[in-house]
Amino acid sequence: MDRMIARIFVVCLLLIGVVVVAVTADFHLPGNHAGYAPTQPINFSHRLHAGELSIDCTYCHYGARKSRTAGIPPANICMNCHQDVTSSFDTMLSEKLKAIDEEREATRIISPEIAKIYRALGLNPEGLPDPEQDPEPIQWTRVHHLADFVAFDHSVHVAGGIACQSCHGPVQTMDRLRQDRDLNMGFCLDCHRNTPAIASPDGHTTHVSTDCAACHY
Amino acid sequence: MSDEKTNPEAKSSIKSVYWRSPEEKEGVLNQDDLNQDIQKALNTQEQDSGASRRSFLKLAGFSLAATVAGCSRGPVMHAIPYLVSPEEIVPGLSYQIATTCAGCTAGCAALATCRDGRPTKLEGNPRQSWSGGLCAVGQASLLPLYDSHRFSESMRSKKTEARREFSAITWKKADEEIREQLAAIQGAGGNIRILSGTITSPSTLAAIDTFLSGFEKSGHVMFDPLSASSILEAHERTHKTRVVPHFRFDRAKIIASFDADFLGTWISPVEFSKAYAKGRNPDSSPTVFSKHYHFESRMSLTGSRSDHRAVVAPGELRDAIVFLWDVISRKAGIENTLPITPVSNKVEESIQSLSTELWKHRGQGLVISGSSDPTLQTLINRMNHALGNYGKTLDLARPSLQKKGNDRELTQLITDMQEGSIDALIVQGVNPAFDLPPEAGFVSALKNVKLVIRLSPYQDETSQLSDYVCAESHSLESWNDTEAIRGSYSLTQPTVPPLQSARTLRETLTRWQGRTTSDRDLVREYWRREIWPTVPMTSFPSFESFFQKSLHDGCYEHEGSSGAKAPAWVDSDLVAPKESVKPKAGELGLILYSKLAMLDGSHAHNPWLQELPDPVTKVSWDNYACLSPKTAKAKNLSQGDTVIISSAGGTQIRLPVQLQPGQHEDVVAVALGYGRSGTERFHGIGPAWLEAKPSVGSDGRVGKNASVFLTLLSGELGNNGVSVTLKPDGGRSELACSQDYHSLTVPPHLAPKGGEVRDAVRSTTLSEWKNDPDHAIGEHHDHDKSLWKDDHLHPGARWGLAVDLTACTGCSACVVSCQAENNIPVVGKDEMRRHREMHWMRIDRYYQGEGTDIETVHQPMMCQHCANAPCETVCPVLATVHSKEGLNQQVYNRCVGTRYCANNCPYKVRRFNWFDYPREDRLQNMSLNPDVTIRSRGVMEKCSLCVQRIQGAKAEDRRNGNENGVETIEVACQQSCPTSAIIFGDLNDPESKISRSVATKRSYTVLPELNTKPGVFYLAKVSNQDQHNDPTTSAHPTSG
Repeated sequence: MDRMIARIFVVCLLLIGVVVVAVTADFHLPGNHAGYAPTQPINFSHRLHAGELSIDCTYCHYGARKSRTAGIPPANICMNCHQDVTSSFDTMLSEKLKAIDEEREATRIISPEIAKIYRALGLNPEGLPDPEQDPEPIQWTRVHHLADFVAFDHSVHVAGGIACQSCHGPVQTMDRLRQDRDLNMGFCLDCHRNTPAIASPDGHTTHVSTDCAACHY
Repeated sequence: MSDEKTNPEAKSSIKSVYWRSPEEKEGVLNQDDLNQDIQKALNTQEQDSGASRRSFLKLAGFSLAATVAGCSRGPVMHAIPYLVSPEEIVPGLSYQIATTCAGCTAGCAALATCRDGRPTKLEGNPRQSWSGGLCAVGQASLLPLYDSHRFSESMRSKKTEARREFSAITWKKADEEIREQLAAIQGAGGNIRILSGTITSPSTLAAIDTFLSGFEKSGHVMFDPLSASSILEAHERTHKTRVVPHFRFDRAKIIASFDADFLGTWISPVEFSKAYAKGRNPDSSPTVFSKHYHFESRMSLTGSRSDHRAVVAPGELRDAIVFLWDVISRKAGIENTLPITPVSNKVEESIQSLSTELWKHRGQGLVISGSSDPTLQTLINRMNHALGNYGKTLDLARPSLQKKGNDRELTQLITDMQEGSIDALIVQGVNPAFDLPPEAGFVSALKNVKLVIRLSPYQDETSQLSDYVCAESHSLESWNDTEAIRGSYSLTQPTVPPLQSARTLRETLTRWQGRTTSDRDLVREYWRREIWPTVPMTSFPSFESFFQKSLHDGCYEHEGSSGAKAPAWVDSDLVAPKESVKPKAGELGLILYSKLAMLDGSHAHNPWLQELPDPVTKVSWDNYACLSPKTAKAKNLSQGDTVIISSAGGTQIRLPVQLQPGQHEDVVAVALGYGRSGTERFHGIGPAWLEAKPSVGSDGRVGKNASVFLTLLSGELGNNGVSVTLKPDGGRSELACSQDYHSLTVPPHLAPKGGEVRDAVRSTTLSEWKNDPDHAIGEHHDHDKSLWKDDHLHPGARWGLAVDLTACTGCSACVVSCQAENNIPVVGKDEMRRHREMHWMRIDRYYQGEGTDIETVHQPMMCQHCANAPCETVCPVLATVHSKEGLNQQVYNRCVGTRYCANNCPYKVRRFNWFDYPREDRLQNMSLNPDVTIRSRGVMEKCSLCVQRIQGAKAEDRRNGNENGVETIEVACQQSCPTSAIIFGDLNDPESKISRSVATKRSYTVLPELNTKPGVFYLAKVSNQDQHNDPTTSAHPTSG
């Protein structure tokens, strides 16, 4: 009888152990990383670019229109603006006014974050190649990552008129990018099941598939 | 349908028709071996079932720990975008770059599918008129680009007494030293030679000429290990021009091949396969269907596809050709002074019928031979001339430039080297220390050459004997041009920045002349200088536009023959071909052949090609001694017994026996290209586990080098000039044969009613097909009542495949294409032996007939995408289910690896990941297709009908807002097929090509009695055996 009690005790202990471990462990299935907001090498603000300045998402993430992957923009895309916009509007304006007052050429003031792009591209503050500085790619930390066995195609969803925010959340309000939703299969199927067909902006009707092989191959 | 068709007895006559190995035919496999296998499996299970409570707890604890560890947040991942993105590259989006295949000397135009700046797949380029598709070797030639065993720099060797010691040096240093030594030779009026394989690149040939012109005494010698020197020599005698004619199999009504394996390895197999299939279309009207006679001693791929195959004794081939010449010369009214040696009755019959056909179809016949004897080839030319075939099926106005090797010059070179009159030798492309027999004396003569420079991507037999070894670049990372057929040019451009600091021969020679012109400019300047002036003025506004267009298309072809004139026939004296070697009593004639995947052995580093089962024997990872089952029985040998093959000269090699039906009894056939240095790397290929056995032999290499038996006599590199004796040594070496299991046959007492007949392949003859298309291919199964509701609706597309067995030659290009497209791992010889190969596609090979009178059918077999799929009903976790588009989907992340599905699959096409197959080589991993998941251990996989291509096309359609893309989807196997035997498409669309194919009466499904309703259809094989005196027609199973 004692043995019996001992056994039940051991089993209970094991079960409790399992529950404790499961709860305390950072339990995530691949893709379920809602709230993940790692620090990035450059303090890039989506709130400023996508929110305040209303730059279209696919201007920088141009891959989203053509390819499976949206892609992190290459530094030359940044330079489309930042070869002229080198600092905040206020800083640049006050420098300009100051220069007019002092009857001199305005100096380029490059903000510390934008300077990182210049450094990566191996450019001097004037925007010219710096022989002292080798170009060095920027190593971003990935925020959204789906498991390898899922194939998600950005271009199809963009072509279907699905807003980026539907999956990525209110990116235009985030200073540091954060994963908004758990990108699990249930999340995908919520849309795919409830929207049998959608009309694209170009008037084309697209059939929404729930076949396994639509994503898994 | 006649009564006989439904009569079970008539059916059982079909049953015995097709077999796959001599063992299966004799029933041995079904009884003893099978029982033994099962017993073995049961025994292992018993041992395993002794799992104790203790081990269970251990496992439980481990899995808990693994779960906890596995489910925490994933590791931090980084993403590094371009700093400045190239305009044409969008991350994740594939694009194609036109290039030229460098797998062999045929020089087919190809397209490289690239992603993110690196090629991941090679495919045929439909823009080139004569090629199309890409063979297995071409497909696999992607892999060496990412090979970490390739040379990354140059090496210099220091000769010591016993051996050479190599040390790495930079290109700069190597260039300096070599230029210095070359200058010394130049100053002393020394003698320099370049030895290479066939070079089809005109700009490289020009660079060689320029380089050599700086020397007083110099020369360029080309030789081909798979030599066509005799054909060149013969045309020099009969047409005063040293070329190989452009063979036009598409224009030939009667094809007579004397041991020329033109669908497998001879000169330009892709081109020939395409043309051959074009000339054989049973659905055409009026019927275009050539008749193919094949004379050979062993069983080649081409022989297995022929309509009329005559097996000749070793040495009898020469007599057969002379006999044919005698008959044809009499018909043509030419006096024949050659003495006739009698041939066997069967061969005589074949020759008589062939000569009648050839004479009847003068100007539409084609006689070819793979013989290495120029006088015999001259006789072949005489026949083609007498039959009026020149200018029709043999084009000399625009000849083939795919073989230029000159065995006579090679012999002369070796003699010169022996005499010590050669000061410097540059060796590129070929590996003469391996390719040539020791008696040829190349290795010993090399010692007399003061400076030996080797250009090679790998360390091999020749580079080990060289003073300098320079890294040669891969074709996908360099510039090149090719003129494979006169007037048909193609270009090669880099698809990726050079991965190693390697150079092409052209650039290297130019550097050694002190010029630093880039390789691109060398090619461009040649084109501007030599090719641009020949382009019609109206075609392009400027050279720039011409070059850009050619670069974009990958090829440029002169329209028509552009005034080229064929050289005229030159009469010469009739010379008797020399007597061939015939084995004495107790001896066997040795035939050395090349395997389709291994060719001359230059691809021995390629694991895809090592693992590709040979199309005929179905054995991978080895060469072996092919014996006819009768000879083996007489010598008391069975498959896998090792024998020692020895020649009179004392040369010996030890090989396992492979039983090869359809081969002559007095012949032993051995493949060349094996036993190469460098194959030691495959020792540990495949999964590492306790019982893993190496993929290499006891000497550390894959297979044995059979080139020791080649003969280089009087300027001819001969492959069948030796008679050998066979001695069993009592050993065994089990071959990795992929055909004798997964049998679809059922013992009669176990078979379900109506399921006794397993006619997986069906065939008919042309006359039966034309006379009675309803019954020609046998019974069309009426579906029985189904247990399943017909609830698989396909509202949109229903994808399917149609495979034309008439067009399929069994060349296995599709198998490698599928492997490249779908990231299929290499498992190694041991796993192949354990029947755990991972190829999603296999090509089943079926034999029919008795003795040497064998007919063969090749059947590509992949997932049949059944509507009533047996696999789906047994999966406990719904990991394999049906899609709305008719695909049988395999969901890897859901699969728990019960393997019930594989068990229940009647077609045996499912593959299980027994291991996590090694993917440690990060450079090699760059060849992976990012669109396809890498499967992990414990997961089932199988043909997905290239669903990633379907989804890709659909995505493109959605981006563009149209629906044209899905109509042009080509699955990987289909794209690579030279004969267009595989058709993919929408079965719901009545206008699609596949629907039209499926609607023909040649179409059938495999195992229809199971009512699985496959989405893969086969079109029965039609062979042309129509002749008044042909006995095989009446013996055909479906005729009665």
